[in-house]
Amino acid sequence: MNDQILFENVSKFYGEILGVNRVNLSIPRGITSLVGPNGSGKTTLMNLMTGLIRPTRGRIQVLGCRTDEPEKLFRILGYSTQFDSFPKGLTGYQFIYSYLRVGGRDSQDAEQLAWQAIERVNLAEAATRKIAGYSKGMRQRIRLAQALCHDPRVLVLDEPLNGLDPLARSEMIALFRAAAEQGCHVIISSHILHEVDMISDQVVLLSTGYVVAEGQIQSVRQEILEHPAQILIRCNRPRDLAAKMMESGHTIEVRIHNDERGLLIKTRDADGFYLMLNQMAVNGIDIESVAPADDDVNSVYEYLIGNEEVVR
Amino acid sequence: MTRPGLPRIDLGQINSVVRLEMKKILFARRGIWIYVLALLPLVLFTAYDFQASREQARRRQIANQSQRPLTYQDLLTVKSGMTNQEVIALLGRPALNFHWREQRAQGPDSFTDVAHERYHYSDGSNDLFVELSDGKVTDANIQTGNSLGEDSIVFASVFQFFYLRLAIFFGCLGIFMNLFRGEILDKSLHFYFLSPIRREALMIGKFLAGLLATCAIFLTSEFLQIAVFLWHFSPTVRDLYLYHNHGLEDSAAYLGVTALACLGYGAFFLVAGMLFRNPILPAAAILIWEAVNPFLPTLLKQFSIIYYLKSLCPVNIPSPPGTPPLLSLLISNSDPVAAPVAILGVFIMATLALYVSSLQVRRMEINYTSE
Repeated sequence: MNDQILFENVSKFYGEILGVNRVNLSIPRGITSLVGPNGSGKTTLMNLMTGLIRPTRGRIQVLGCRTDEPEKLFRILGYSTQFDSFPKGLTGYQFIYSYLRVGGRDSQDAEQLAWQAIERVNLAEAATRKIAGYSKGMRQRIRLAQALCHDPRVLVLDEPLNGLDPLARSEMIALFRAAAEQGCHVIISSHILHEVDMISDQVVLLSTGYVVAEGQIQSVRQEILEHPAQILIRCNRPRDLAAKMMESGHTIEVRIHNDERGLLIKTRDADGFYLMLNQMAVNGIDIESVAPADDDVNSVYEYLIGNEEVVR
Repeated sequence: MTRPGLPRIDLGQINSVVRLEMKKILFARRGIWIYVLALLPLVLFTAYDFQASREQARRRQIANQSQRPLTYQDLLTVKSGMTNQEVIALLGRPALNFHWREQRAQGPDSFTDVAHERYHYSDGSNDLFVELSDGKVTDANIQTGNSLGEDSIVFASVFQFFYLRLAIFFGCLGIFMNLFRGEILDKSLHFYFLSPIRREALMIGKFLAGLLATCAIFLTSEFLQIAVFLWHFSPTVRDLYLYHNHGLEDSAAYLGVTALACLGYGAFFLVAGMLFRNPILPAAAILIWEAVNPFLPTLLKQFSIIYYLKSLCPVNIPSPPGTPPLLSLLISNSDPVAAPVAILGVFIMATLALYVSSLQVRRMEINYTSE
């Protein structure tokens, strides 16, 4: 299990306040998003994973590394925090260079890696300016450069897209994807569900300190039995199809689209429904497309947590 | 993706921390008061030096204006009851001669004139004031110039009661307590905690930076104080003091005690900064503990820094006659220890404090919101 991030029955209490409780997680390679409203425990989980705080109970391992050994952990892990403070008086370049030097890199290596990381986040022009004069987006990017600069195998990024303009967002998302494709564990927390949906290989849904669901988003959706699956079908005879579906008993609700070229179906037996649909197609109804309408993060989040404080 | 051959030498990492921290400590705007504290005795001694030099120049000028060169022994020959002629025969005409007349009442309607004179002689280092009435010496008063013996006691007093107990104490408080606490308040400690560096190595790096910075500030000031203190004495007196009268050893001892004070107090304030959120409480507690040290039993005395530092101070400050016993106890070192024991004592105390710091730094969490 040395290629996973493991949480075994982890709880964290701040005095009497609950941070996270009884978390059991196993995070594989790829991009994993931590999703949940404010105060759900996303940052606590990240701080636990990086040893910035210690669990009250339980055990955490990052690729076989204990989190109370920063000298080993941060050789394989980079963390871009939400803390918006920097050592005083440093330029962007000095910030990254100093970080690498403190980490034990020699001067030449540190210089080279610092410039590489700065270029990866497109901050080369501002690198020799003091961080105190940076915009919010620039500060976000220099933090990302710090997390990336030593080529870690695990990237932990707390709200990494905050403050970035749309172009920078897409550049950073491409960066995360590239890291994941190279075999990195990329753990991202975000409020912005459509971005999470776009980039995540798996999600961890958190609510009030508890893990509500984890895994690939489609698998999570299939496990939510109390909410019927919604399927959008585009076809030439939606009313005929609707009638046949209702007769079949697999369908509990049907809505015809306004343009009379499609319908939305709710079913509790998605497998049975798809078998049925194949027969309909054979019986002369011309089906253009079939697509699940609610197996995205947005819907899953809404079903499991509700829609508090979430940007869609 | 990790690069092979990563350096594992902690010394290099400690060096990087020291360099970063030194820059922060020495150029921190909030640390200006530490420089003021360190330089205050220097300002005091410079002013004293200036005044003493002026006095000396004035004495030399008077000595030069005398009819013949005088020695200290010459000045001692003038006694009460001598006539002005006898004085002039012994010392020559005075360089400065003040005279005035007094009408003294003899009865209800009768007065007599009394002629007063004051002769001022100098051998270049000491003054002699001779008071004469009607041509006879009534008083011969010698005012000695600056004596290295007396001045060295003044220097020792300033060192022990201001420099050691206040300037270095509060300077170390300001620097070492902020090594971790300051970064927690600035919310920037995570910069180090996210690096692949052992927390103990980080703590040592920060401590060394603090020690180097305090030593640079306080040793420089102490060195300059010694230089200024000796400046107004003649080269002969200086050489005599430095090379034949333990002057060099005393100066080295002052510098050594200063460095040991930075080490001892630094280690204590480092751990206090990690254990307490409010620095005022531990600072007050340590200050009181150090202040009451002379009144503690010997066993308890050993758990303070000042106990060892006082034993290493080269000049004992004598209590003036009539000093209250409690104050006298505070001034004198009633229970001194041998120099090697004292040095070892400071090192042991500092090591203990650093050991507690190393345990504490491993337990530290980043939780800025609770600060």
